[in-house]
Amino acid sequence: MHGVDSVRPASGKISDAIVRVKGLSKRYGRTLALDDVSLEIRPNELFALLGPNGAGKTTLIHILCTILAPDSGAVALAGFDVVKQPRMARRHLGVVFQEPSVDDRLTVFENLNFHGLIYQVPAATRRKRIDELLALVELEDWRHALVRSLSSGMKRRVEIARALIHDSAVLILDEPTTGLDAQSRERIWAYLMRLRKERALTIIVTTHYIEEVEGCDRICVIDRGHILAIDTPASLKAAHGRELIRAVPDDTTVADAIRASYPAAMAGSDGTIVIEANGDVAAEAFLKKFGGRVRRLSIDSPSLESVFLSLTGRELRDQPAGKRERTYAFGRRGGEHTK
Amino acid sequence: METTVGQLGALYAIWLREVKRALRDRGQLVGGLSRPILWVILLGIGLNPYFRGEVYGETRFVIPYTYLQFIFPAVIVLNILYTSVQSAVSVIWDREFGFLREILVSPMPRPLILFGKVLGGATVAMVHGSLVLALARFADVSLVWSDVLYGLGLMFLLSFAMTCFGVIIANHIRSFEGFGVFSNAVILPLYFTSSSVFPLDPALTRAQALVVYPEWLVTLVQINPLTYAVDALRGTFIHFHQFPPMLGPIIIAAMAVGFFIVAMLNFRRS
Repeated sequence: MHGVDSVRPASGKISDAIVRVKGLSKRYGRTLALDDVSLEIRPNELFALLGPNGAGKTTLIHILCTILAPDSGAVALAGFDVVKQPRMARRHLGVVFQEPSVDDRLTVFENLNFHGLIYQVPAATRRKRIDELLALVELEDWRHALVRSLSSGMKRRVEIARALIHDSAVLILDEPTTGLDAQSRERIWAYLMRLRKERALTIIVTTHYIEEVEGCDRICVIDRGHILAIDTPASLKAAHGRELIRAVPDDTTVADAIRASYPAAMAGSDGTIVIEANGDVAAEAFLKKFGGRVRRLSIDSPSLESVFLSLTGRELRDQPAGKRERTYAFGRRGGEHTK
Repeated sequence: METTVGQLGALYAIWLREVKRALRDRGQLVGGLSRPILWVILLGIGLNPYFRGEVYGETRFVIPYTYLQFIFPAVIVLNILYTSVQSAVSVIWDREFGFLREILVSPMPRPLILFGKVLGGATVAMVHGSLVLALARFADVSLVWSDVLYGLGLMFLLSFAMTCFGVIIANHIRSFEGFGVFSNAVILPLYFTSSSVFPLDPALTRAQALVVYPEWLVTLVQINPLTYAVDALRGTFIHFHQFPPMLGPIIIAAMAVGFFIVAMLNFRRS
């Protein structure tokens, strides 16, 4: 198939790294969105960037996509510097942005064909790939439907198909499953897994849904502009995973008592107290002491959730929608002046 | 990969998208049709009898044309003006709704993206302008093929210039609401001071004109570049000029080039 074979190998440490980020920093006003970030991604890898909202994932993605200039550091994508040779880098790049970027007044086919034309894909190849990709994302029946008539999950599928019409060697997806229902989320991951089997493709995906990254080759945990860990899910669990006790205390006096006995206790969502417990002994000790005074109690075995908690000291949680999301929601509801 | 044919294809894609979006927008089409009817049929026919002056007790037309004939070319400009500036809304649309990113991460060079968008907007505006020609017989304007072809050329160039102008405005406006207010606040004054609805009598000297009109108004009309665009179309369709005939086309072309350069500098920065 098409893909990496047309890409010149980049020079450097890992001779076959397709994405190389070195000493990347970006500052917005007083906040440091990225602080000296370095990482390398191998060809055909499924690479996940995991972090809470505002961790710097989208900033990193926007720099990779050549639409944001870094303050310092360098990024090579398929051997091309994204600052010095942005147009060459873009040829090898397929992007699915966090916010929808399809034209909803055009049909599915028109959107895909538009993309093929601006990436200068020859007519025969264009037609063939549009057919293939519509089949992959199961939208053949919607080929001539206006995009505005599709659900948000279907729009996301159009965007995934679109990002692959040209010779993209790296597919970047920024929060592809945010705002979708569980079924659509599952389907999108199924398409990504199938794509990897069918074509040589490096996939970089960001998410704050921790359960989604289990199937990835490597996970990069990022928070407050720093990389906290990069490894396979299994090694991350082995190195940072802890058994966790989650307890919801009856009242504040119990909560204070628990915190007094466990100074390292962390705050989970909705008043939950989270305590790292290594081995059954620790769990038993907790049960003996507070077992009768908690409303709810669970003991989690090492998971990526606990890896994240022990790396960042907090849980991943959904945050209220920002201004931009609210504007989109307003537009979708048929708000004034947006049509 | 980097072929001229490929780049033309990319340009065509962006042009086609603009045209398709405009065709699917009913509101824009309704505006493009109702505006000329309102101005030519209602205002034109209504004011037609009053378009004359009295000199030494003798009734005469200020210029040797009826009011309907006089405003007919100006309504073409009005229709172009509204549609071009409106088409720049698509710039805001693309920016707010993410489609701009899809284009910006493509390997297309920035100036070519802008050129395609402006060509698309200009095509739609020119078509809206030419809708006015359908009312020619009501305005008692006889159309000759050669005039129409030359006129379409001028209209396209003017549409191109005005679309760039709209893009420049759009680059400084952050919301859809703001754009609606702002575009009206720009379009109408430009239109009214372009000698579109009242003539500066060419038979009068500047000193005499100043007796008829206050100086600020005469100055505004004379510095408004659209005055010369209206004059060029008037010359084409009713063979009447208030200014040297070559001035119109030159100023239209200069606006097209000038506004495109400014729009491109703006677009690069964003």
